[in-house]
Amino acid sequence: MSDAPPPAARPVIEFRGVAKAFGDKQVLRDLSLDVRKGEVLFIIGTSGVGKSVTIKHLIGLLGVDAGEIWFDGKRVDTLREPELAPIRKRIGMVFQNSTLFDSMTLAENVALPLRKHQGMRQKKALVEARRRLDQVYMSEFADRYPAELSDGMRKRAAIARTLTLQPEVVLFDEPTTGLDPVNARRIDRLIRELSGGQGVTSVVVSHDLTSIFSIADRIAFIYQGAVRALGSRDEIRASDDPVVQQFIQGQSSGPMETPGF
Amino acid sequence: MRGLIELWGVFVSTIAGMIRGGRPKGEIVRQMHAIGNKSMLFIAVTLGFIGMVMIYQACMQFNRVTGDLSQVGVQFIRLVTSDFAPTLTGMMLATRVGAGIAAEIGSMKVTEQVDALRMSGVLPVDYLIVPRFIASVVMTVVLTTLGGAIMYVAGGLTAHYQFGVNLKIFFDLSLLNPAHLSLGLVKAVTYGAAIPVVSGFCGLRAKGSSEGVGWATTAAVIGSSLAVLLLDFILSVAGFFVLGEALR
Amino acid sequence: MFGFVERAITQVGTTTVRIAREVGGIVVLAFDVLRALFPPTLDGRELVKNLYKMGNQSVPIVALTAFFAGGLMLVQSAPFVEKLQAHALAGWAAGYAVLREIGPILIALMFSGRVGANNTAELGTMTVTEQLDGLRALAIDPIRYLIVPRVVAMVVMLLALTVIGDLVALVGAAITAKAVVGIEFSTFIHSVVDNLKPYDFLHGIYKSMVFGASIALTSCYFGVTVRGGAVGVGRAVNAAVVAAAVSVMLLDFFMTYWLG
Repeated sequence: MSDAPPPAARPVIEFRGVAKAFGDKQVLRDLSLDVRKGEVLFIIGTSGVGKSVTIKHLIGLLGVDAGEIWFDGKRVDTLREPELAPIRKRIGMVFQNSTLFDSMTLAENVALPLRKHQGMRQKKALVEARRRLDQVYMSEFADRYPAELSDGMRKRAAIARTLTLQPEVVLFDEPTTGLDPVNARRIDRLIRELSGGQGVTSVVVSHDLTSIFSIADRIAFIYQGAVRALGSRDEIRASDDPVVQQFIQGQSSGPMETPGF
Repeated sequence: MRGLIELWGVFVSTIAGMIRGGRPKGEIVRQMHAIGNKSMLFIAVTLGFIGMVMIYQACMQFNRVTGDLSQVGVQFIRLVTSDFAPTLTGMMLATRVGAGIAAEIGSMKVTEQVDALRMSGVLPVDYLIVPRFIASVVMTVVLTTLGGAIMYVAGGLTAHYQFGVNLKIFFDLSLLNPAHLSLGLVKAVTYGAAIPVVSGFCGLRAKGSSEGVGWATTAAVIGSSLAVLLLDFILSVAGFFVLGEALR
Repeated sequence: MFGFVERAITQVGTTTVRIAREVGGIVVLAFDVLRALFPPTLDGRELVKNLYKMGNQSVPIVALTAFFAGGLMLVQSAPFVEKLQAHALAGWAAGYAVLREIGPILIALMFSGRVGANNTAELGTMTVTEQLDGLRALAIDPIRYLIVPRVVAMVVMLLALTVIGDLVALVGAAITAKAVVGIEFSTFIHSVVDNLKPYDFLHGIYKSMVFGASIALTSCYFGVTVRGGAVGVGRAVNAAVVAAAVSVMLLDFFMTYWLG
């Protein structure tokens, strides 16, 4: 399963035996996973299996119960809130529901991190924000409020906002869920371009099979709180694990045990 | 202005609904528990502390001027019964009960439960506001009595232990007369009636989703607090002219 | 009988634990806010935005409240004043009560109901839609960026409103004195100026600063700890206004003793 990575692809992120419970619900049991520099890694699995929980640990939005998380040779799971700021500047996150601030226009949303971290004045930050929005084809909506826009538009603006800090790693939490196919493929292309052109590492949480099999470099399948299968698109597609097969073929019955059913 | 007319409409249909009867069984008791029992600690703590503060301030002031503290107790009980107890209880209930009623009815409105009531031939006012109205009127009077008593006792103890006022002189009820008591009772009943009508009205006007409920809750707190203050002003002025001599 | 006693004890126990947890949470938040204020790295834009919004929301309501509060205190003292035929005392009695107690308390309660409740609802909505986590993910500290400007704005705004409100309340008392008891304005003004000291005014102002801080902290605390969607937001607003009312009354008690 874990073939030794070539030296160039040294892991930038490592999860080592991470466990996490909410109340008496054990979500992650023993999750270990490496993320290589510059790759697009998909974390897949059924709803509620702990995919989002996994990536939220990486930027300290959640704390681990056991295990270690390493980023670029530094341990991050033990950091305190103020010490997390430099990590969060290097690892961006695009949330499932965008989390744009609804009291601000798109331009103001994108300008906020520019103003806070790059010391720009509001005027200059707004100009820069428009340029950033243009990169995701959203400049004509710069003066609209998030509530006035569709999910796909909000998601693109959220991506633009996350990219303002020029992160080395971007975490995407279900970027295409709830989007129509056209918008979903646009988001896919954006993610792919990031890795290709700018060498950004992407970790994508998803259960959108089309995205998974069109843009992933590697796929990690999470089942019962641990990584059940890890490999390239072809390797996962050819997996002889019946649970993996049930998931990627979207069958309602099979060996998979899903909580709540 | 439109809002005030609609508010009056809610009040009138509440009274009509009360006369008509036919409300869900046990609902009044449930509401009395929600409005009364659950506010007891809140009213006791707030009115108790403000009673101590008022006596403290009054004694300080009397000390500054005459040094004669024998009048503090008799004047205090007159003010407590005719105004402080009902009005402060009313203000506190406007916050606690007003917000609760608006949040509850507002949530039902935005989740279309109110429309469902209407569809099944039940008037929302009858079903939602009338039980709260009756419960609120009764419990406001009860809580006013409780709050007033706690205020009076807390004030008396402050006067005794901080300023050495004789307890017998402080707890002298000879100057209290029916005029003070009836004015206080009228106020308590009026606030008890106003709070559920104003906040129920705000709840029924909630639109949209969670923001709508939030808006209704805020509006209910402010609306019923202002209603208490305005009614207090009107009733106090009316009391001054109608009861006049008896209050002195 | 036994069941009832047991239930009552359990009730008292859980209530105590809940209150202790909430007070603890608010105190921790207060320390976080203080730490963020030294050295002051206040987001100016957020501060101005909040000041503007809060002022807009509350000035008319506070003015109305203060006017009637002043009038009320005058009416309450009227029977006494009539009895003693001491018109010269009316302004003093009403003014003393308004400046030291009724003004700061009523204005604080109204402010809590309007601005505090709104603030809780706003922060609560942001919390349930993960906007606070969104800020954290952008390496922006929600306490510094969101909470501190709101707390500062609320303290400043309530202070300003109390100064304005005191004035309006005295006007309300003077008008009521003329209309209800027939006391001339000049008599009223003399009564106020001759008998009240600047400290009576300051006494209320000091209180309003403390009230402002406690309303701000409670409303922010209940906002950022919201659980459970839209219903949770409504419940948080309710809890916040109740907690703010209790804290205003308790602090008033301690401040009165302390300030004398």
